[in-house]
Amino acid sequence: MRQLVLAVCSLLCALGVGATRADDVDAFTKEHAARIAVGTCGICHGPAGVSKQPKYPLLAGQNANYLAAQLKAFRSQTRGDADAIGYMWGMSATLEDGTIDALSQYYAGQAAGTGRAGDSALVARGREIYQKGIEDVGVPSCATCHGPDAHGLADFPRLAGQHAQYVLKQLGSFQNNMRNVAVMHGVAQGLKVDEMRAVAAYLEAQP
Amino acid sequence: MNSYRARARQLSRFVLLPLLAGLAAPAALAVPSFARQTGMACEACHTVWPELTHFGRVFKANGYVLDNLKQVRGVTAQKEEILSLSNLPPLSIMVQASFTQYATAQPDVTGRTQNGTVAFPQQVGLFYAGKIAPHVGAFLQLTYGYDSGSIGIDNTDIRFADLKVLPGEQTLTYGLSLNNNPTVQDIWNTTPAFGFPYATSKIGSGFGAASKIDGAFAQSVAGLTAYAFWNESLYGELGMYRSAKQGTAGPLSSTTTGGVLAGTAPYWRLAYEHNWGRNTIEGGLYGATFKEFPDFGAGFGQELTGPSDRYQDVAEDVQYQYVGDQHLFSVLGTRIHEKQTLNASINAPATATVPIPANLENDLTTVRAYGTYYYRRKIGATAGFFRTTGSSDAGLYAANSTPKPDTSGWIAEINYVPWLNTKFSVQYTAYSKYNGASDNYDGSGRKAGDNNTLYILAWLSY
Repeated sequence: MRQLVLAVCSLLCALGVGATRADDVDAFTKEHAARIAVGTCGICHGPAGVSKQPKYPLLAGQNANYLAAQLKAFRSQTRGDADAIGYMWGMSATLEDGTIDALSQYYAGQAAGTGRAGDSALVARGREIYQKGIEDVGVPSCATCHGPDAHGLADFPRLAGQHAQYVLKQLGSFQNNMRNVAVMHGVAQGLKVDEMRAVAAYLEAQP
Repeated sequence: MNSYRARARQLSRFVLLPLLAGLAAPAALAVPSFARQTGMACEACHTVWPELTHFGRVFKANGYVLDNLKQVRGVTAQKEEILSLSNLPPLSIMVQASFTQYATAQPDVTGRTQNGTVAFPQQVGLFYAGKIAPHVGAFLQLTYGYDSGSIGIDNTDIRFADLKVLPGEQTLTYGLSLNNNPTVQDIWNTTPAFGFPYATSKIGSGFGAASKIDGAFAQSVAGLTAYAFWNESLYGELGMYRSAKQGTAGPLSSTTTGGVLAGTAPYWRLAYEHNWGRNTIEGGLYGATFKEFPDFGAGFGQELTGPSDRYQDVAEDVQYQYVGDQHLFSVLGTRIHEKQTLNASINAPATATVPIPANLENDLTTVRAYGTYYYRRKIGATAGFFRTTGSSDAGLYAANSTPKPDTSGWIAEINYVPWLNTKFSVQYTAYSKYNGASDNYDGSGRKAGDNNTLYILAWLSY
């Protein structure tokens, strides 16, 4: 399983998960996107991508290509977890590619948080799972794709500092196959709820 | 005095009681056009409509303008935007149908009224609810009520709002509201206009005497208020209301029915909300001071000069919400205290056809609290408590066997929400005291418990 995930991750990195790169955008689009980010997205995600409510993910410092891919998945209604349907399908419906790229760059350029300390035993358990995986049930190391410091690699998202509640919910969505991401569905299958909680607590504590 | 008491009792039984019940029924705030405009499901703004979530409160404070529809645009040669019009007008329709059953049928002049009343429709509402222009939005409701048999203006709130990001990434939302019902513009469900019960029977017994801020001026005033919402937590609002009667072109005169505000009435609101995890807690204060030239009844009207009655309303409110994926839980409460100084009413003509107070000064206090639980936004229950107490006044409450306004009791409600825009409710209201007493409150032997009301409601919005 571990080898399979590594191979798939490597292949996806090589191909580039986000088919369209969040390349440079013109000044007008940047300004337009910043207005949307503050006035619209900011209601949930905070004006600089630092959401106060853990229901909504932190976007500050997130990988631009990952953000662009997710916004396009919302827009095309291929990301199917409950909050994606309830919130983001509508919010992304009229976004143009250029605006998506500019929004992604906007959030990537914001200073990421410094993490929030959690229960030390839970964080320690989460660190072990994140760094080493759980060999017995075929859960690979998360660090393989997301980086040893959880800052993301290539097109794989930054997880460091993310709200634990959000991470936990997404792991559940991967497990139920609501997000329709084969790799993460495979990874999450072997995780028990308390193990997901530990990983989420560890990630929330990372700067 | 005895003949006046008899007249007053009859007035209470056949006129005031249903009138108060009608006043006590808040109109709806739950509009699918918001969902169409934003592209977000109802659950973003509501736990279950009409109760707002934190996001719903922020959406309202921002002027109902959050929008994801394609726009018809107009720009000048300098790229200045002069039009941004949604392709889809934010229209909605709402229908209520209901059945009401009293524990004991209400009396009428020859015996008893028919018990078991079907209202089909109880209400049909047509809404314009959404963006008008960038930074300008509206919630405007026209309602047909089976009780009036006509269409009239209902709750209206037209807003301008903008948002600034302050140093440290704090946000400041600020705006203006032009509205027709004090508290209709408020963003918590603790205040009267959109407080629980969200729907009640038009012929139910209501909640007896009420303070002025508790719906007395709904749709008969116009108010302009300015508000600021700092960092989605600290909220402050100040405004003024003035009489704006429907069905008369004005100028308002001694023939205008229903009392007229003297000058303008100040309104204020201060609240703080704290969010953590899936939890939200809010505590606040609100109030208004109304000076009113009272209506002394047919043939008298009101003098629009000279002394007026003064009602100083000060209220506290608190709210807690837990919004989980499976379980949703809310506790909301308010206490409204009114100090009445009845300089005009106490000097009413002796033959006036309205109750004339015996006291220059009276107090009236209403407490309401309720808790709601929903499972997966599908099935839920609410239990609520209400109590109004006040000064004893042999003139003002002459229709009551005990000259007090006291009314108290419980409400229990079960809701089934098969789809987020359809709700089916069974509500039971039990009175421990009504219009001053538990037994023989009207001098004709009727008990408070005789007014216990079963109310079944189908509520659909599209």
